[in-house]
Amino acid sequence: MPIRKLPEAPPSVHILGPTVFLVALGVGMGESYMWPRLVLLFGPEIRWLFLIGVTLQAVVMLEMARYAMATGESIFSGAARVFKPLMWFFFIVAMAVYIWPGHLSAGAAALEQISGIPWMVTAIAGLILVGVVFSFAKVIYNLLESVLSLLIGTLVIGTAVVAAMVGTWSDVVTTITGMFSFGYLPAEAMTAAWFPVIVGACAFAGPSGMQQMWYTLHLRAAGAGMGAHIPKVRGLRHAGEEEAMPSRGFMFDTDDPAEMAKWKGWRRWVTFDALLLFWGITMLVTISFTVIAQAAVRQNPAVRTAIQGDDREVALTAMADAVSSAGSSALGVIFLGFIALIGLNATLGLFDSFSRGQADMTYNFVKGAKKLRMSHLYAGFLWGVIIFGILILLFGPADGPSGILDTLAFLSTFAMGAYCVTLLLVNNRMLPKPIRPKWWTNLIIGFGAFFYLGMLFYSLFAFGVVVG
Amino acid sequence: MIQRQSLELALPGASIGAGAGAIAGGLTLLAGQPAGLAAQSALTLAVPLALFGGLYGILLGRGIFRPGTFGPVGLYWMAGFPLSRLVQESLTGVGLADGVLPFLAYQLMVSLGFAIGFLWLHERMMPHWLLRHAEGNPRAEALLALYIRQAQASQPRSEKGARR
Repeated sequence: MPIRKLPEAPPSVHILGPTVFLVALGVGMGESYMWPRLVLLFGPEIRWLFLIGVTLQAVVMLEMARYAMATGESIFSGAARVFKPLMWFFFIVAMAVYIWPGHLSAGAAALEQISGIPWMVTAIAGLILVGVVFSFAKVIYNLLESVLSLLIGTLVIGTAVVAAMVGTWSDVVTTITGMFSFGYLPAEAMTAAWFPVIVGACAFAGPSGMQQMWYTLHLRAAGAGMGAHIPKVRGLRHAGEEEAMPSRGFMFDTDDPAEMAKWKGWRRWVTFDALLLFWGITMLVTISFTVIAQAAVRQNPAVRTAIQGDDREVALTAMADAVSSAGSSALGVIFLGFIALIGLNATLGLFDSFSRGQADMTYNFVKGAKKLRMSHLYAGFLWGVIIFGILILLFGPADGPSGILDTLAFLSTFAMGAYCVTLLLVNNRMLPKPIRPKWWTNLIIGFGAFFYLGMLFYSLFAFGVVVG
Repeated sequence: MIQRQSLELALPGASIGAGAGAIAGGLTLLAGQPAGLAAQSALTLAVPLALFGGLYGILLGRGIFRPGTFGPVGLYWMAGFPLSRLVQESLTGVGLADGVLPFLAYQLMVSLGFAIGFLWLHERMMPHWLLRHAEGNPRAEALLALYIRQAQASQPRSEKGARR
């Protein structure tokens, strides 16, 4: 790779940055539904698995950032440098998993509960709106970072105020102490009915599937590290203003102490993001939702039965109804409002990330694609996934959105194990020695591959069920 | 004049605090409580949160806080948020039934989450607000210059460097 100067890291541990995408994508069904549900079923002690899952994701985030900030390339390009079919594997997995509009339906269904507007109308209107807004944006990243920051900020403040008003000290103590009950697995959890559900919930602790891989594209778009030398993707209307995209990344001089000092600054910056923003917010939202769910069961024990069923919409409605019927109708509405907000965040983030990732791989590795601009490819994938999503919503599988999410959860887990292996290969083989990961980081990422793939295949062989 | 300049800096933080308090009011109103009680619940949380939020903006303008840094803001709200909730619950609620200490300990934990959300929104609103008020307000102008320096430092890509 050509050598360029590494820019200075931001002067302070600054709270704004690309982590907002990871938080927007990561704080989803796992945090608001799957884990509160498991806590109600198996007790707060089951949360030790959540702690492992989210902490593992924080380390994965740091390692994804290592390659992206050192080269300005996405992890997909890194995978292609190691073994090109590996990159195509992720291209195909993304197409298979993320073209389904399942993530949209949960939020839209929650909105239907509040407003009465049929969820399909909201979902289709949302899809078209996302396409139009992204097509008109001058620099898509800037627009999306602003919008997501406002939405996530509102979600975090709102969740904090609601949790402050409905929760108690004992709720939060049991929720937190449960996180340290390492090894706790009740007999019921080790059954064909529930183990696959636990595997799915572990995959949905924090960002699931390929979301961490897309984070490398957002780091680049934010100008983090060597990403500063790569032009930004523009909306279709401003595609003509886009600068030529280089066909490869850049590297800084790792023998120069001044450059290495700047590199350490960037690592500090991203570590702050991983620990405080990503880990902290994910924990806060999950603990808050668990406290809300515990309050719901206290007020109406029937909610526990409803949650045991595997229909997500029924369970979410039951949780909302339970708190409403116990004299706190506001909590029900606010609970559903947050589910809708989470759905909106995920939709905005996913559509952008999917299009960004597929466009990046197509531009760099499909012959003749460079005749187009990155913005054109981005728009092509964006509108492709929007039109497909509308068709599926109108004429899709009869078993509805929950079925879509189940398939997503299965493939997500496999992709997560696969990206841990990819990370080990890319960071240890493609980066210069001074900036390669430490042995203990490799150990954690190796454990990640074992954690995701091991649980997936154990579930498959022991129970004959892949993921719930 | 100096007071007006400081108050202008206080407005974004005060608005966020007041907005968060309004959520509490909405919660009470939708819970079927009389409008008067809902307004009281909103007001008793919104006022202290707005005061603390506004004070943050003023202290930011005086250089006591640095834009976007979390640590000091986290500590600030670890004091501000539990106190605000204490005021609210003392005047309108029943949250103190378990005792003041468990109540404050719980609020202390939640306050860190509130601090992240507050800072996130504040960092989005403040630069836009400063752009509109920098003219004629030296404090706003100085703070805006600080934000611009930070933005430039974190977006260092030169036109030349961007090309192939």
